[in-house]
Amino acid sequence: MRLALIAAAALFLAQPAAADVRAVVEEQALPGFARLAAAAAGLAAAAAGGTESAEPGAADCGGAAVRDAFHATFDAWMGVSHLRLGPSETAALSIAFWPDERGATQRVLAGLLAEAEPLPTPAGYAEVSAAGRGLFALEALLYDDALAARAAPGRRCALLALVADDLARQTAALAADWRDGFAPILLSAGEAGNAVFLTGDEALGALYTQLTAGLEFTRDQRIGRPLGSFDRPRPQRAEAWRSGRSLRNVALSLAALHALADLLADEPIPATDAAFAAARDAADRVGDPAFRSVGDPAVRFRLEVLRQRIATAAARAAEDLGGTMGISPGFNALDGD
Amino acid sequence: MTDRRTFLKGLLAASAAPGLSWADAGGPAFIACAQDPGGGFALAGLALDGATAFRVPLPARGHAGAAHPGRPLAIVFARRPGYYALVVDCVSGAVAARLAPPPGRQFNGHGVLIDGGARLVTSEQDAATSQGWLGLWSARDGWRRTGEIASGGIGPHDVRLMPDGRTLAVANGGIATDAADRRKLNLDVMRPNLAWIDPDSGVTAIAEPDPALRQNSIRHLAVHPDGTVAFAMQWEGDPALSPPLLGFGRQGGGALRLAAVPEAERAAMKGYAGSIAWNAAGTEVAITSPRGGRVQRFDAAGRFAGSFARADACGIAPFGAGFLLSDGGGGLIVLEGDGARPLSHADLAWDNHIVAL
Repeated sequence: MRLALIAAAALFLAQPAAADVRAVVEEQALPGFARLAAAAAGLAAAAAGGTESAEPGAADCGGAAVRDAFHATFDAWMGVSHLRLGPSETAALSIAFWPDERGATQRVLAGLLAEAEPLPTPAGYAEVSAAGRGLFALEALLYDDALAARAAPGRRCALLALVADDLARQTAALAADWRDGFAPILLSAGEAGNAVFLTGDEALGALYTQLTAGLEFTRDQRIGRPLGSFDRPRPQRAEAWRSGRSLRNVALSLAALHALADLLADEPIPATDAAFAAARDAADRVGDPAFRSVGDPAVRFRLEVLRQRIATAAARAAEDLGGTMGISPGFNALDGD
Repeated sequence: MTDRRTFLKGLLAASAAPGLSWADAGGPAFIACAQDPGGGFALAGLALDGATAFRVPLPARGHAGAAHPGRPLAIVFARRPGYYALVVDCVSGAVAARLAPPPGRQFNGHGVLIDGGARLVTSEQDAATSQGWLGLWSARDGWRRTGEIASGGIGPHDVRLMPDGRTLAVANGGIATDAADRRKLNLDVMRPNLAWIDPDSGVTAIAEPDPALRQNSIRHLAVHPDGTVAFAMQWEGDPALSPPLLGFGRQGGGALRLAAVPEAERAAMKGYAGSIAWNAAGTEVAITSPRGGRVQRFDAAGRFAGSFARADACGIAPFGAGFLLSDGGGGLIVLEGDGARPLSHADLAWDNHIVAL
């Protein structure tokens, strides 16, 4: 029986494209990027032709419909934002320019809002620096009142429409690049002529790396940055705090990473599932959507618990999955010479 | 001392008889250092089909190498801080000579044979101060150290021969390191440069990057037949800035020039380029980033031409119309234009560099 199992395992390993790679591609990546493109197209439609109102609020620049579409698009991005390989490796920068340590988004947008010369054309907007594009540029245009106050008349809604249109183009191209370009490369891992993944295990390892890097990013950046230190909490370093999405982004990223872990596993992984569930419960208890009160010891404590539970989920996933993924640290990447 | 030299000469005579050529070593086209699955280190010869032509064990992790133009001898340099360079007979696998830096010195991983293989130049630094030196050795006289010359900067790394067959181009990385480990000590005040040096009379020209880019350590070089030195850099400044990692310099040709790299491509290299090569025709230059798992190609004017993603990719050398790429996963990949095809896959981790013979 044991021998038969080993033989079956060997046979399985010899197969080039593992079933779990196919599951990630077909059940998470392709539908996720298609959903993102559709949501961004909806946002672009809602933002087109919006005009400024004398009183900022519901009627401004397309009003509530634009804000709802913005949130729907950001939600869709959170379903795939951890997949930073293939075309996403370079595309992610201009879709979600964060962290933005130097306030580059505000600076680029302030320049565009104040300039006397015409705004770029829709196609020409792709040449604008990444900080002035994507979800965080939209967030600034929709939720940063100080930025709005610096805009030349009529300029802000036009720029919002332009950024939304550019994001729709970007996400449509990204979905197509995944579907037509990178998905076939992942699915043909180990087959003759595939120069990106010489074995099926390399493709599996690349996807597993997205899981570990994604958990690390949520723990260290999305939670760690606003936490700062006890003496110096940094609420304005939270992700998407202006639109009140900081906690929501943590929860959505954990859900997407949990789904990825399950898709990568050949068999049930109850320990990992339980650890992700515990992290989700901890997120539900934070009760501070934009991390505004990270200086409050009670909120701080709840975020520390969440951070700890994400670390535990990463450890369980490594135990359940890491051993089978053949991951070794980069021989050259770690060399530094 | 004479006894040792005589002994080494004898070894040399026995193991690499003057009549032997690279064909006797299995006709390798490249040499590269590697780590095997057991954790041991080796120097390998690679044939054009990607097969291993020979494999010679190394006492510690290697870095780069230099090949003798005529005889089947390779000089392998230890990883920084290096305390050995081995002259390896690639036919028998025997170590023909073992070079050690003088007291207080460290080898810095690179070197080059000059004067038709008669002399070896080694990149070195003073262990205590990181002041850079080029060591000079006679291949004809039992690999005796014959002298040294200042490299013109701190922490030199790569050294290459210019097309005039005499002048050396040196990448002075500018980074002072701890004598015992590789800790970086002077990142706030580092000043890398690209230096041109006559091996007998010293520095003939030095070019420094723009002051704003002084934290961009110049580390690896590839020389175009027209004398343009392309260099690959490692950024030690604010990671959010992602400056270009490829530049060009000409001896006495004024300011260093940077490549034009799209913003997202710059970020994808993670501030680190590990190797650089021109293609055989000199129409394209490529830099690799093992941290970004990425290779970027540029035309000779420094305009971005395309990129290819491959985990832990680092070694690069001219191959066909394009390049041969090696990685820590044992892959050898051929890049031609926008295309890529696997050449071979070994159960080895290929180390930083591929040296074309």
